[in-house]
Amino acid sequence: MSQQVAHWLDNLLKEIEGIEVRRKSSRRVRVDVPADALPALLELLQGRAGYIHLSAISCVDWIDDDEFELVYHVWSYESHSLVSAHIRIAREPGVYLSVYDLYQPAAFFERDIHEMYGIHFEGSPNMEKFILTEWDGPPPMRKEFDSEAYINEHLSWQEYNPEWLQELVAEGGGVIIPPEEQRFSQKKK
Amino acid sequence: MSRLQKIPVVEEKKGNPLARVFDDLVRFCRSRSLFILHYCTGCGAIELPPAMTSRFDMERLGIQPMVSPRQADILLITGYVSIKTLKRVILTYEQMGSPKYVVGICSCTVNGGMYWQSYATAKKLDEYMPVDLYIAGCMPRPEAVISGLQKLMDRINSGEADSWQDYYRNYDYYLGNQQKLFGEDWQTPTDIITEAKHYELMGEGTLGQHTRLLEQHQKPLEALEMRLGHNIKEPVE
Amino acid sequence: MRPENYEAQRQPPSNEYELNFGPNHPGIEGNYALKVKLHGDIVLEAKADGGYLHRGFEKLMEQRLWIQNIALVPRICVPDPSPMELCYSMAVEELCGLKVPQRAQWLRVMQLELSRIAAHLFTFGGHAATTGMYSTMYWGVADRDLLLDLFEEFTGGRVYSIYNIPGGVRRELPEGFLQRLTETLDYIESRLPDYDNLFFKNQVFVKRAKGTGVMSREQALEWGVTGPNLRATGLAFDVRRDDPYLVYDQLAFDIPVEESGDAWARTLVRRQELMESIRILRQVVEILPDIHGPIRAPIPNPLAWNVPAGETYTRVESSKGELCYYVVSNGGPKPYRVHVRGPSSMHAVQVLEKMSVGSRIEDIAQTMFSLDACPPEVDR
Repeated sequence: MSQQVAHWLDNLLKEIEGIEVRRKSSRRVRVDVPADALPALLELLQGRAGYIHLSAISCVDWIDDDEFELVYHVWSYESHSLVSAHIRIAREPGVYLSVYDLYQPAAFFERDIHEMYGIHFEGSPNMEKFILTEWDGPPPMRKEFDSEAYINEHLSWQEYNPEWLQELVAEGGGVIIPPEEQRFSQKKK
Repeated sequence: MSRLQKIPVVEEKKGNPLARVFDDLVRFCRSRSLFILHYCTGCGAIELPPAMTSRFDMERLGIQPMVSPRQADILLITGYVSIKTLKRVILTYEQMGSPKYVVGICSCTVNGGMYWQSYATAKKLDEYMPVDLYIAGCMPRPEAVISGLQKLMDRINSGEADSWQDYYRNYDYYLGNQQKLFGEDWQTPTDIITEAKHYELMGEGTLGQHTRLLEQHQKPLEALEMRLGHNIKEPVE
Repeated sequence: MRPENYEAQRQPPSNEYELNFGPNHPGIEGNYALKVKLHGDIVLEAKADGGYLHRGFEKLMEQRLWIQNIALVPRICVPDPSPMELCYSMAVEELCGLKVPQRAQWLRVMQLELSRIAAHLFTFGGHAATTGMYSTMYWGVADRDLLLDLFEEFTGGRVYSIYNIPGGVRRELPEGFLQRLTETLDYIESRLPDYDNLFFKNQVFVKRAKGTGVMSREQALEWGVTGPNLRATGLAFDVRRDDPYLVYDQLAFDIPVEESGDAWARTLVRRQELMESIRILRQVVEILPDIHGPIRAPIPNPLAWNVPAGETYTRVESSKGELCYYVVSNGGPKPYRVHVRGPSSMHAVQVLEKMSVGSRIEDIAQTMFSLDACPPEVDR
């Protein structure tokens, strides 16, 4: 039964041009599509194959390729399989279409990606900030954002050898670990 | 704490010998009826229900949760404070009536804990408000929370837990750190300087460059005009 | 920059008003806020306001070694941390092609189900407290503590166990542990009739919860609802059965379903899940002594561990719903990208916003607790 469904699905997906389907396991299918074909693919999956549950939209920042990868994970309650549709969009200007009219959960994920990566989704119902409402820095999940540099600029570190600890050490207790030994990233430099 | 010790404490000679006895009694009573503000800022809050309920039972020490800041004595900072939460924590702290005590639970309040690399959390709580007691651990067990609160009770009883006075005496320092993080035009609805005058707790550090900056940006709060339901009329254009 | 709720805004006279519900409010689960627009006490509009618990987990995980992240992930969901470790470990195992020994898989099932019972007891406590029944909260938290003692014994941690590592689990069971586990399960099962009388059959609760926060099955599917909340609308879907991981396909358990889709149905589903978890744990206790062998597969030096490049999407059924991790590796010592899909990211934001509309303000807490929304999962 499930093999039949899989076969049927593979045939169905051939209808879209430029598509590459890889079956990773009996319940996981990876699909790579050109960015402009994704809405058609999702419509096909939802309307004709029963993939009605949008599990998540993940975003990956491939800064070396100057591209964002968007991954749409959709699940079918009938055939019990998960299709991950991968697309790539240019990092600049970082605009893509919303799939809210197909999947309502997309609103949350698109809003999240918008504030974390700065990608704008056309047609999404709400692109306001949700988590970072009081944040005025750049979108923090982008690879070029260096959070340690941000912290060094805005926040101060706790003193690692305060007076009270010295007293404890003099009595034979406590451990002093200098900050340069604590932090991997600082140690390398 | 070291900063606290540097503050000269002026011992006033009191004429009435009973006055000191009365003060001791007040401190004793204060330390035995503590209300904790119910504000779960972080993950340490998950160990508070066990500490409060049947098993560890904090109520036998006279410590109870309280939902409104005006009636609470202790502000428990249970874990990391994200910068967005820190603003609310400061607002809440300023709304609480004196004497008030701040207890930082979890390592994150001490030095940022395991989120030291995170852009979203504050690293040192005592930069933004004076802290009476830290309970370290990730997360501290209910026994540790209770033993920490007992230590706080001892300190209240002996009069050492007076960090709330430090907030008035060194307001400029705390305000400066808040302004550094939240921007120059940061202000809260509570007028700390007037309160400090009222409590006679003006210190050398109460006023300074940061409070001057605050005055520049401060907008006076106006009382809203009171409207009752049956008097409502559409505004005349 | 000032807190946005600081200045009172002058509005034309009207019977409608706006209210900030939270973050410091006993009717809100955790550190979370809602902005509600009201007419009288009927909610016209609700807007979720999150981010109070934001720590930037996904950024932090990109900056740490694969093994360091194990200590980080349980913090994403505080009341039910174990599925988080498992889901991340499963992702790393899949990327490396590690095969987890049988015994480790059974131990993981044991940890997950214990965690599920603990989380459900905690939720009942919180939910009961919103209806004013504090005794249930006292009982639920006290009984959960017995499970935390078990956790402490076999993992070393009370709340955050950090028991899973990629490749298996960290520790072998202590001697006589299964006996103590059985005793605790017997005790919790014997307590359930008391809970029924105190809470689940209590008219105070039943009248309050029936008809509150109703959603139909179509709505639930449209809004992306998962877990017990979906099962309360009549759809028997459980990742454990329909997308099995670990050894769940070898275990016998039912998927409890309710039809009415309101707060009462959701609570009853959780109540029955408690029984199913006990049933699973009993099977584990029976089978575990016969399964011998190592408890973890050998992994390379974890401090210099380059996970092969690739991407994977792992799904786990947590006590709140479908929990997923999307992990990308570029062959380096640190993850290139980790995306956490917490079940509450749907429940606490869109679903809560939609279900609050038209209800009364005092029912918001009831709806939120019955959805078992966990804000740290939303904010990450």
